Amino acid sequence: MRFLFIDRILKLEPGRSIEAERVFPGDLDFFRDHFPGFPVVPGVLLTEMMGQAAAMCLNAETPEKGRGRAILAQIRSASFRDWVRPDEKISIKAEIRTSRPELATAVCSAEVRGNKVSTADLLFTFLPMERSAADGRDEVLESFLASSGRVKDGSHG
Amino acid sequence: MTKDSNEILAWVAEIFETPIEKIRPETKRDEIEAWDSLGILTLIARMDEDFHILLTDEEIQRLRSVGDIIDLLNQRDANPGP
Repeated sequence: MRFLFIDRILKLEPGRSIEAERVFPGDLDFFRDHFPGFPVVPGVLLTEMMGQAAAMCLNAETPEKGRGRAILAQIRSASFRDWVRPDEKISIKAEIRTSRPELATAVCSAEVRGNKVSTADLLFTFLPMERSAADGRDEVLESFLASSGRVKDGSHG
Repeated sequence: MTKDSNEILAWVAEIFETPIEKIRPETKRDEIEAWDSLGILTLIARMDEDFHILLTDEEIQRLRSVGDIIDLLNQRDANPGP
């Protein structure tokens, strides 16, 4: 199983905000355990999903900042307001609130059919690029940047 | 101790997830378990969010006790937000 919980980026302002979406297909193994007879997406995965969206927003501007790959350092708060069932489309929003060389914070939310299902306030630090695999790629982000005529080399606006 | 100082102590206790009884101006950094690398990031973020204070690397290095945080906030004439 890939640890990638964003299907598609819909809107992106690098370093400022992002909108994305995700569907957790009903045939994923963990639904057998969470919960038997009543499958719902685990809150930890919703939190990770929102964190990945915010990280993509930060990583999209990283070439200018030169500070490496955003990684989740702290879940400052997280709330789960409603069940998310298998195969439901989740709309994700993240806004970057603080962005400094050593850290960033983001407020995030997830909605299903206009109903807010989860919110999170997250803190990120940065993994220096030399500690990442040289061929490590973010295919979702690259796909969005390519489709919107931007490339991840710092030339996007 | 002024009311403001008590508010700052409560603010510091919240940041480092430490009971307020253990937070005094004289409390040293190494006496607060959560004043580690993540704690420093949290402190930097909250300084920015709550007081609009952007700490420099030098200022971060100089913070060795709770009193140093109080002094820094007083120097910047900061008041805890809601």
